[in-house]
Amino acid sequence: MTIHNLYIFSRNGTLLYYSEWNRLNKSGITMEEEAKLMYGMLFSIKSFVSKISPLDPKEGFLYYKTSKYTLHYLETPSGLKFVLNTDNGAQNIRGLLQQLYSQVYLEYVVKNPLCQLNEPIQSELFKQKVDALIKHSQYF
Amino acid sequence: MKQQGLDSKADPTGEGVQSLFEYLHAEMVTYVLSKADNDKEEELSRLEWMGYSVGYRIIERLSREWSRFKDELDIIKFICTDFWSTLYHKQIDNLRTNHHGIYMLQDNEFRLLANIGSKGSKQYLRESPRLLAFSCGLLRGSLANLGAVSTVTAEISALPSCIFHIKVQRM
Repeated sequence: MTIHNLYIFSRNGTLLYYSEWNRLNKSGITMEEEAKLMYGMLFSIKSFVSKISPLDPKEGFLYYKTSKYTLHYLETPSGLKFVLNTDNGAQNIRGLLQQLYSQVYLEYVVKNPLCQLNEPIQSELFKQKVDALIKHSQYF
Repeated sequence: MKQQGLDSKADPTGEGVQSLFEYLHAEMVTYVLSKADNDKEEELSRLEWMGYSVGYRIIERLSREWSRFKDELDIIKFICTDFWSTLYHKQIDNLRTNHHGIYMLQDNEFRLLANIGSKGSKQYLRESPRLLAFSCGLLRGSLANLGAVSTVTAEISALPSCIFHIKVQRM
């Protein structure tokens, strides 16, 4: 199993954090453009899902799958968005994303008074902890 | 909508209560520094003074079950164990003294620094001292109410550990 890369977006679409572990195919555009593209797509999917859903969509968009990879999506009530690309074998990544949010983001960004919220995350400790969590997960 | 109160059921770990102090402390530091025009050092002393008042009051309650302390070292020991674990949920890791009124309290994972940098991290080293001013005052205030007039300074060599130097003034 593989985890490819991770994006964290703020409520208003700023790319807070990006990290990659196993990415063979580069997008060929700058990171800024890629982030915009990614956020735009997520935004569209979200509104698509909530409009098209025949029932109350509850949590809404959870993931999509292509022949090669799966994109997992977690949005918190505060609008923070976690996006993780894995291969198709990985099941139940939701727990991992929740962990990323509650054990890493909350602890090392929100509780760090020297970190500005809604701006790209600079903290080295945060980077380390994300890396450790992903590498130690059973999906890596 | 689900109604969630801040009772123990909704918050079994007490996360809300524990982090309340951390968040408030962070805001105090930011506020005090934002008021500073030029001399940051001067502003930190206000923070230290707040700590002093809090320490002076809080020690009344924390030490109420204790009999009187034998000597100065006894007081410091109480600070290192009971006082510290009530406030920061751990004890001081290392206590050293020259037996002439100078004490060195080392905390290898100080709570207010723990989320900022890992072992040996140099990233926020320059900004970190401002997070210690309040705690210095806290120590000075509690010692003052126990009868030991002192000066307290703090030192960070590598996050997240820090050392508090206490210098008791002998009469």
